[in-house]
Amino acid sequence: MKTTVIGAFPKISDDPTGQELRRALHRHDRKEVDDEALDVAFDATTRAAIAEMEHAGIDVINDGQIRWDDLCAAFARAWGGLSRGPLERFYDNNTYYRQPVIEKAITTHGRTLVGDYKAARAMTKKPLKGAVCGPLTFATLTAEDRAYKTLDERTLAIADATASEIRGLGAAGATLVDVEEPALVARPDLVPLARRAYERLAAAGVPLALQAYFFSADRILDELASFPVAQVGIDLRSRDSKALDRIEALKGKTVVLGVVDARNTRLESASDVARDIERALRALGPEHVWVAPTTGLEYLPHDIASRKLAVLVEGARAAAGVPA
Amino acid sequence: MTDVLLTTTVGSFGKPEYLQTARNAFSRGKLSESELTELERKATREWIQRQEEVGLDILVDGEMYRGDMVAYFADLLEGFRNGGLVRSYGNRYYHKPIISGKLKRPNPMTVEWFTYAQSLTRKPVKGMLTGPYTMLDWSFNEAYPTRRDAALALAEVIRQEAEDLQAAGAQYIQIDEPAIHARPEEIGIAIEAMGIVTQNLKAKTISHICYGDFAAIYPEVLDLPVDQLDLAMANYEYRWLDLFDEHPFTKELAIGIVDVHKHELESVAEAAEGIRKGLKYVSADRLYPHPDCGLKTRTVDETIAKCRVVVEAAKQVRAELKAPAAPTREVPA
Repeated sequence: MKTTVIGAFPKISDDPTGQELRRALHRHDRKEVDDEALDVAFDATTRAAIAEMEHAGIDVINDGQIRWDDLCAAFARAWGGLSRGPLERFYDNNTYYRQPVIEKAITTHGRTLVGDYKAARAMTKKPLKGAVCGPLTFATLTAEDRAYKTLDERTLAIADATASEIRGLGAAGATLVDVEEPALVARPDLVPLARRAYERLAAAGVPLALQAYFFSADRILDELASFPVAQVGIDLRSRDSKALDRIEALKGKTVVLGVVDARNTRLESASDVARDIERALRALGPEHVWVAPTTGLEYLPHDIASRKLAVLVEGARAAAGVPA
Repeated sequence: MTDVLLTTTVGSFGKPEYLQTARNAFSRGKLSESELTELERKATREWIQRQEEVGLDILVDGEMYRGDMVAYFADLLEGFRNGGLVRSYGNRYYHKPIISGKLKRPNPMTVEWFTYAQSLTRKPVKGMLTGPYTMLDWSFNEAYPTRRDAALALAEVIRQEAEDLQAAGAQYIQIDEPAIHARPEEIGIAIEAMGIVTQNLKAKTISHICYGDFAAIYPEVLDLPVDQLDLAMANYEYRWLDLFDEHPFTKELAIGIVDVHKHELESVAEAAEGIRKGLKYVSADRLYPHPDCGLKTRTVDETIAKCRVVVEAAKQVRAELKAPAAPTREVPA
């Protein structure tokens, strides 16, 4: 069993000394500092996020997505044929993203995240995952599409571009890539389309973790079991979920259990966390259970995010029988 | 005052530079509360005057004394504690409040400001509140076992405020629910909570809804117990109106005819066309043209210009309605 994180880590904290990136971005907007100075701030914040995950005892970390404005942004900026449209609310969060607009057929060199990945790689000795936006999520969050005729066509074209990014991450050394895909649990009617998209992602040859958060996965556990991915992440906290009652439906996959709520400050107890983990361990065995916050910790104030990580690690250790 | 196509705004206006500076000084302990209040009153006076000059029909106080629409109330209610910074988008952050105990309203929260703003004008000023479902959805809930429990507890304290506004003379009370479609499966909770807020109100009640997927809660949202829904339309290219073809819209409609999220100014002709689109579904005495959303992110000049477009567009369409039946356009009853 391993502990891990998903998605974005808080970029700043309430402490005035934890606001360097916010200030750097302000100055950059006002053209008081150049791109290079902003890069220095991004790197410093990434280094701090990584150090914090390491210190908390997370086994498999990510780079905290410090450069990401939102889940679509990195790709909408880098890919040919795309622009960024108006702001819209990101699912049921009081957080907003720029809706992608597809002007022409999508093109990518597949190296959008390579620089970030390599930079983070050099900052840690821990296993470091990559991450991409899920193709179904990207396709359903798109505001306007002037290139593809149907949602199917659009999703598959995005999947091809995403597969290319996954290949790039693999070549840069990533041995696991999260595919963040809230749309799959938001829109279970689109599971067949998503499966076709994931066949294209899998062709990239890098082990994938499908992270399906914000909604319960109860209705589609059986379908998830047959996706061509190594890991399936499910959210046990955002909404009522009975997924643990039949978690064995996911046998054969490594299940990433979202056991601490990354969208509410209410702190779980380590013993509640341990109890859920133990149920999954009994059904799937320790080789096939990873544990994580439900989604990116950036939905929480920084100090609470840190405490959530601590509870996660404490609960996982208790479940594994490791003395605290 | 004309009686059809009354113009209004959604609620917030930009804070003048001197007030921003004063708020920063106040938060650093460099300015007293009474000094800050004096500047907030000055800014309120300026906005009332500007709204009158532009010729809007139903005014707002402009919310010079509010930081944001949830935190303002959370700060004044018992049971909330101040939360840490959470990113909203880009490089923008806000303090997301935490419901950490039993909710109680120790004192009225907006009544003095309403009374002050209303004393400055003979036009009606709207009382402005944030709805219980949005208060819940934009806070962290640690204290109540379920989201419904928290929403109903919030509804009770907001009801007290709404009734005090009515007692102070408010003819219009707006209870905004921009988060109402955050979880479409919870629309029943939003409706139940709003029912508590408006149960004893005789004033005209309004609820502003923006962003998000309005289609996901239509037509259920017609059961929201308010007289008027206030919707962003220009920003959505009026696509929500198509929903009304299948399920007729049964409330008054405040229709957003200029986009507040862009600096560019719409033409009067464009905005007037927006009103005409609305008239296909809602009669002129029940249609209220306005900008899509609060204007607090626009400059003073942009705000005045956008409001002027709304007023001119309404004038133009009113004139058409008075003119003997235009041959090409259907005039609603």
